Amino acid sequence: MTDVLSQPGATVRPKSAPRRLSDRAFAVLLILPAFAFIGVIIAWPLVETIRLSFTDARLGGENYVGFENYVDLWNSRRFHSYVWITFYWMFISVLAKMVLGLIGASLLNAAVPGRALFRMLVMPPWVIPIAIGCIGWLWLYNGTFGLLSGVGQRIGIFDGAFPFLAGKTSAFYSAVVTDVWIGTPMVTLFFLAAMQGVNRDLYEAAWVDGAGRWYRFRRITIPQIMPVIVSMSLLSAIWTFNSFDIIFILTQGGPRGATTTLIIDTYKTAIGNFKFGEGAARAVVIVVLLAIFSAIYMFLLGKINKIYGVK
Amino acid sequence: MARIAPGHRDNDGKDRHSMATLELNSIDKSFGSAKVLHDISLSIQDQEFVVFVGPSGCGKSTLLRIIAGLEAASSGQIMIEDDDVSTLAPIDRGISMVFQSYALYPHLSVFENIAFPLRVQKLPRRELEAKVNKAADILQLSDKLHLKPGQLSGGQRQRVAIGRSIVREPKIFLFDEPLSNLDAALRGDMRVELSELHKQLNTTMVYVTHDQVEAMTMADRIVVLRDGRVEQFGSPMELYHQPRTRFVASFIGQPNMNFLPAKVREASASGITVTLPGDVTLSLPLNGTTVSTGDTIDIGLRPEHLRLQDDGQLEVHVKILERLGGLSITYSDVGGVRFCAALDGASPVKEDTTIRLGFDPAAAHGFDAQGNVLPRLGAPDFQS
Repeated sequence: MTDVLSQPGATVRPKSAPRRLSDRAFAVLLILPAFAFIGVIIAWPLVETIRLSFTDARLGGENYVGFENYVDLWNSRRFHSYVWITFYWMFISVLAKMVLGLIGASLLNAAVPGRALFRMLVMPPWVIPIAIGCIGWLWLYNGTFGLLSGVGQRIGIFDGAFPFLAGKTSAFYSAVVTDVWIGTPMVTLFFLAAMQGVNRDLYEAAWVDGAGRWYRFRRITIPQIMPVIVSMSLLSAIWTFNSFDIIFILTQGGPRGATTTLIIDTYKTAIGNFKFGEGAARAVVIVVLLAIFSAIYMFLLGKINKIYGVK
Repeated sequence: MARIAPGHRDNDGKDRHSMATLELNSIDKSFGSAKVLHDISLSIQDQEFVVFVGPSGCGKSTLLRIIAGLEAASSGQIMIEDDDVSTLAPIDRGISMVFQSYALYPHLSVFENIAFPLRVQKLPRRELEAKVNKAADILQLSDKLHLKPGQLSGGQRQRVAIGRSIVREPKIFLFDEPLSNLDAALRGDMRVELSELHKQLNTTMVYVTHDQVEAMTMADRIVVLRDGRVEQFGSPMELYHQPRTRFVASFIGQPNMNFLPAKVREASASGITVTLPGDVTLSLPLNGTTVSTGDTIDIGLRPEHLRLQDDGQLEVHVKILERLGGLSITYSDVGGVRFCAALDGASPVKEDTTIRLGFDPAAAHGFDAQGNVLPRLGAPDFQS
């Protein structure tokens, strides 16, 4: 070594070695594509939407209108009712998915023969394309030809044909049922995975100490999977809030606005009526509402993780 | 120090210690076509500390779980205090169990973990707090009650798990390898603590381990299990001095017993003469009625019974020397098998030298080809 270094003109780095980037530069290089992707797919459309929301953009052209679109929304009673419908829709549907998901996961987690088969049977609503599932439900809800109406009439619940999607209330809850049907399997599988992660010794220890099934579920299972319940309900809430396809295929937001959630209203305004500026303002409102909602949720998640011993 | 006596309380408030005997009658257990326990019958006395020991897969944990009621026996009967509990739920058997993983509830504080069984029983708050505090006092956890299990060390978690079973005041404590997740030093401490606890509680304890040191140090009596069968049931000293089979002899004692192949020259009820590897012919005080001249048997020599001796019976070449300070352990090759000697720490032994080792013929064990013992004629009698 010494004699090599002492030679006049010898460099410390051999010539054949490639130039090395610093770790930092290499890291930046690695995340650049992701940044570019996010810029094109998310950031630019978001900025463009915000810009549009301050215009009266239509097919013909656009003019800057300041906060006019937002003021209109603030004063629109119809829009207020859509906000209310959206939150109600989200609340009912997520609650149902969580409760059914918990029940389903508990049953699938039980040591019963053939549970592998049951686990597979849970999947189809989630696996088959939403449009196909919805068309099936359209048939079920059909008043003249539908199964539900037919069975209802035969057992005497309905006096005549009952078109579920025609009444305001029945249409809303029918849409909820379909949304729950599609959304529950994934919730169930997440809960099941969480339940399987709970140390079996905890249940045996509790059993030895005399705790019954319900007690074990309440004091071991629920607390142990609470972080999953909380994060799952947040994700589910966001998805349900923005759930478009199910409602649009079943009712297109009708009858008389009964199933028009914010996302449906936004679509109808921007794409249906070509009022891009007004639609953009609605989209921005959705983003803000979801951001507030998520912030509260993240705060709660942190609290719950602390309580339930996740360090 | 506070004291919790097991058993029930009579109306006059005095502790009435119940006779917590445990009896297993012909317990069999199969998982599908695999039979893991074969006709296990044991009788465990009141207040006895019994250890089930054996290599992994010998069925010791399964047997404990059957006693606990976590598994059902395929056939057989479990009696606790003269009651047949074979079909009862765990809670109705009057047992409590400490798990290898501790099975602490991570979301509950130490207090709530210990209080768990009492909460299940819906005990009044005052009584519950008194019992939890008493248990915490015994286990030196009083200043840790507000912490979560995740904030405790391994040894402390172990104590919480023990606390949870103490507050139940069970007739019988069951321990499933409670120390195997601890490091060696802590394990030694906890062994002593568990022995103290046993003295203090005066309750029947059944303890499962794969570690023969735990078995030897803590047990009143040891059950050695092998492939789902009881190989021997006796006191630690009995197992050490009078192992009934080659398996028990090899399992009990540290370092493990040496087994040298030997040819029988002469055999009778009053002794046998054998030839060891290296053409060493010896007379040993072993009952040779079950073997005959020409048979090959195993002569068992415990490493600690060997000593450096100029006219010793065996000549060995030291391949590896382990200096432990108090002991010097040598490893050699005799007749194709590894041969270990535990010599005095100061012995002038060197690696790659040849030494002569001697032993008292009365300390030798003999096992026939089936692994059954040739009874020692001069063995100390530890059978009670």
